[in-house]
Amino acid sequence: MKLFHESEGITRRQFFKGAGMLTVAAVISGVFAKFGFDVFAASDDYITQRVAGLYTLDESMAIRKSHENPEIIQIYKDFLSPGKVECVSPKAHHLLHTKYGKDIPGFIAELKNPHHVPEVESAANEETSTEEPAA
Amino acid sequence: MSTVLSEGVIHVSNDCKACDHCTFICPTGAISGELGQKHHISPKKCINCGQCLINCPFNAIHDLSRIEELKKALADPQKFVVVQEAPAVRVALGEEFGQAAGTNVKNKMYASLRKLGFDKVYDTEFTADLTIMEEGTELIHRVYGALGVPGFEEVGPLPQFTSCCPAWIKYAEDNYPLVLPHISSAKSPQQMWGAVAKTYLAEKLNVDPANMFSVSVMPCTAKKYECERPEFISSGYQDVDLVITTRELAQMIKDAGIDFMALPDEEADRFVGLSTGAATIFGATGGVMEAALRTAYEILSGESLGKVEFDAVRGLDPVREATVEVPVKALGTSLPVSVCIVTGTKHVASVIEDVLAGRSKYHFIEVMNCPGGCINGGGQPIRRDTY
Repeated sequence: MKLFHESEGITRRQFFKGAGMLTVAAVISGVFAKFGFDVFAASDDYITQRVAGLYTLDESMAIRKSHENPEIIQIYKDFLSPGKVECVSPKAHHLLHTKYGKDIPGFIAELKNPHHVPEVESAANEETSTEEPAA
Repeated sequence: MSTVLSEGVIHVSNDCKACDHCTFICPTGAISGELGQKHHISPKKCINCGQCLINCPFNAIHDLSRIEELKKALADPQKFVVVQEAPAVRVALGEEFGQAAGTNVKNKMYASLRKLGFDKVYDTEFTADLTIMEEGTELIHRVYGALGVPGFEEVGPLPQFTSCCPAWIKYAEDNYPLVLPHISSAKSPQQMWGAVAKTYLAEKLNVDPANMFSVSVMPCTAKKYECERPEFISSGYQDVDLVITTRELAQMIKDAGIDFMALPDEEADRFVGLSTGAATIFGATGGVMEAALRTAYEILSGESLGKVEFDAVRGLDPVREATVEVPVKALGTSLPVSVCIVTGTKHVASVIEDVLAGRSKYHFIEVMNCPGGCINGGGQPIRRDTY
């Protein structure tokens, strides 16, 4: 209750001073908020434009699906799976696939010394590619 | 050799004003420092994405540069220097030369690289197509495995995560080792290109792979870390020798006094240079997913897609999902393929938790660390005008 008594003692001049300060603070924070908003609005713009640039480029390309790229078909037929197009062939597996986390040290040892562990990975894959039926 | 693996790619310089902005940007909480104190990045936690770098208001964060090493290699007549450029580079490089964001400058980019002395100029888009072939096939195998088709018992679990983003890979390895079997074993397009260059390409061009120096231009700082990971030696050499960012390429072009916009339009070298629209959109969030859907749909259904655009996977929301009805010819039924796209590592944790708890309904999940995809990568031109 005592608080109320004290605040009753506010003069007209004090009231205008307080209200004025509050107004100035509100205007300043409004300006900053607008500034912050503008920063984020602008940064979204260039992201959208770059994405749009890629989609426009896609539309202008003669071939738009990976499996129809003649050089992709050629690299499988010439090199990765001689004579045919077979994804995840042994050679593709060796060159184009990797391992993660705790499997990496063993994977590196295998890559550096392929003759040391042929019975585990490479030989098994070369003989009967388990994935073959899918292609 | 380089200290990238132990010390990371991203470093805070003495220009740091300790404004603390970067700690809010960092998706892994790798940046520490009190207000008013120079900040520090923990290389153990950092995933090298460079989002702090492109968002630093004081230009105080830098990525490790090996540009001098590249200049030496270009000047060395013994070295056969080949280069690949990621899709996202071509729609942002022009910004360094006064063009609007999104302007396609790929033909001038090829010309500038030849002028800088690269012996052959190829394009990462070729191996983006190759990634789709390998990663898409892997996904089909995993779906067959989950459906109990004989011969696919040994394949990995569903859902399958994409593996193109090196920042995402390090994040998963550091924080969620249990999710690693879900990540596609396919290498990223950059690393596939490196492996193919020093084997297939070296053979075609009759170049000794020991003398081949393989460079890539990336929108990404994490790619600098990726190329030095010790397991990427399947060609018998380090598959990709050196990575420069879009910004560093622009700097080299300016340093060499080349008038970029006045260059003639040139094409990339062929053999491993021809690419498709599917490869181009790799640079945007949802792009890998859309490219994979175009190929997986046609292979599974045996039908040709009428409309190649999958609008449902496009957009800039951090987590998006879609379901595509795919007729599977081999099984005689139709399969609703459920996909999810995450852009921004901050949003990936809940998706991973669902997968680990067995609650996830998705088949295929694309994760890109940078908001918007590679076009907003840590190696792209910095947009100071927005600050």
